[in-house]
Amino acid sequence: MVIIFFVQKTTSSSRLPRSFIISIVIGILLIIVFSMISIGFLSWVWDKLNIFATVFLGIFIEAIPYLLLGTLASGLVEVFLDRDQMSKWISHRPVAAAIGGAFMGMIFPVCECGVVPLTRRLFNKGLPLSAGISFLLAAPVLNPIVVFSTAAAFGWGNMLFWRMGISLVIAVVVGIVFSVEKKPSNVLIPVLTLSHEHDHSQRENPSIAEKIRQALLITADEFFEMGRYLILGAMLAAGLQTFIPQAALLAIGSGPILSVLVMLALAIVLSICSTVDAFVALGFLGTFSFGSVLSFLVFGPMVDIKSIIMYLQVFRRRAVTYLVAIPFMMSLLAGVIFNYLQP
Amino acid sequence: MPKRLYRSFQALLLLVLCIFLASKLASGKLTYYINLRFIPLTIFGVIFLAVLAQTLFAEIKRSRQLAQAGDDEHEHAPASSNLWFMLVPLLIGVLIPARPLDSSAFATKGFNTSSPLVSADSSAQLFETDSEERNVLDWIKLFNYETDISQFIGQKASVIGFVYFDQSLNKNQFFISRFIISCCAADGFAIAMVGEWPQATNLEKDSWVLVKGTIQSITLNEQVVPLIKADSVQAVPVPEQPYLFP
Repeated sequence: MVIIFFVQKTTSSSRLPRSFIISIVIGILLIIVFSMISIGFLSWVWDKLNIFATVFLGIFIEAIPYLLLGTLASGLVEVFLDRDQMSKWISHRPVAAAIGGAFMGMIFPVCECGVVPLTRRLFNKGLPLSAGISFLLAAPVLNPIVVFSTAAAFGWGNMLFWRMGISLVIAVVVGIVFSVEKKPSNVLIPVLTLSHEHDHSQRENPSIAEKIRQALLITADEFFEMGRYLILGAMLAAGLQTFIPQAALLAIGSGPILSVLVMLALAIVLSICSTVDAFVALGFLGTFSFGSVLSFLVFGPMVDIKSIIMYLQVFRRRAVTYLVAIPFMMSLLAGVIFNYLQP
Repeated sequence: MPKRLYRSFQALLLLVLCIFLASKLASGKLTYYINLRFIPLTIFGVIFLAVLAQTLFAEIKRSRQLAQAGDDEHEHAPASSNLWFMLVPLLIGVLIPARPLDSSAFATKGFNTSSPLVSADSSAQLFETDSEERNVLDWIKLFNYETDISQFIGQKASVIGFVYFDQSLNKNQFFISRFIISCCAADGFAIAMVGEWPQATNLEKDSWVLVKGTIQSITLNEQVVPLIKADSVQAVPVPEQPYLFP
């Protein structure tokens, strides 16, 4: 098309087409600009690009297995769990549902990347809003892998106990807040992309092998769908880490309130998986108080750059604001209280 | 995009991602990105990606057979932009050569001569290790936690790290640095001890060296930091594990 257009234009008038002139001018300008840039600048750009690539691939490669596990869980839930069964298990009274949802998080070994597709699937199966929300926030902290990794880093003591306890409270509170909304469609973005693969399975009673095949197909679809937002989030986090000095961030962090704020900001920027963040937090214990590190451990799994971007695909924007703001306030409060109790 | 074409691209991308991870694993470059202890998880990922790709290839074959049998279904595929995003990590991984974090990341990642790490294990077991087997992190830990560091002065040491120069040091001195990684490159930060060698000016920034010598101490920013009075400084290739793990 473009070529035809080009040919017509050049044959119809003897003047060169405007786009051609513009592109030559831009080309000359680019050459001038590049010749003015020193070698030092280019090597600076190359260095930054390398840091970006290493940090980005670090987050991405680390997250792939967890994302696979989460989407696999989602695929299995879709195929093996009936809507009827679900409504039998879960109470529809808001408080009970929220608590039930949070405790459900203890069973599923998913971190914050895997929990988002799984929660969406559970909503699709008729899980009440309050239960789903508290599951979403609690599962990345309360699951067995995280319990053991936290214990491995801090021992079976105070840090583990308070991390689990405060996360549970925040998850249940946010779940109850969301139970006020009676229409789930005001909170959830409707799922359009669910393929009608399962139509085949409903024709007759499918075999286990057939069901697993269906589950794997759903896993693959969701891996791509959620992987997209994981990649976006990891790029954003790596970009921030390439240009914002974390050392400066740590340096300003003193005082009972400011230090908690610094830890919360770091939790958002680092975007590390909840299954391993305890080892990272261990490193801060030398320079930061117990309360500040605790707030990092509570808030990080609930909210960081990549999980915010993934939330935005499942929840409406207003709901995401609540999902970020309430845990932020409560983690801040918890951190500050601990800082005043045991400075 | 028709469903079958979408499935083909999906299967292909999964396969390429699987091969990409497997090749990083085989070349040992995976430790440039993540902590050694998470490698089993990546192995699981590689296997699972292969299984998914295989399932998709089988599905494509099946749907082609269905189409030939006249049972063609009109199916809508999910947004194809999902697919192109998966190219981003592959392109970054292939086009930008793998390079572990080095001194160019000091500006944003931080650089320390003290160890902010409070590990659950005490430095007790570090006493038992042979002084020549302690790495940079071990020496930093010992100098941080022990009140009496005079016991280390004069011990033999042999450490590997990359070279970094700073204005706080004399002409014949250089930093021997390593990055510490807990989970992945995203949480890395650098530590360093000091090397002293007459030909230090010949060393190249960010080059990897094996420094052998005896331990002394030096005070930088009111902090006592281990220093190796080098008998020899030898250029070495990037170690298989460029990072240390706390």
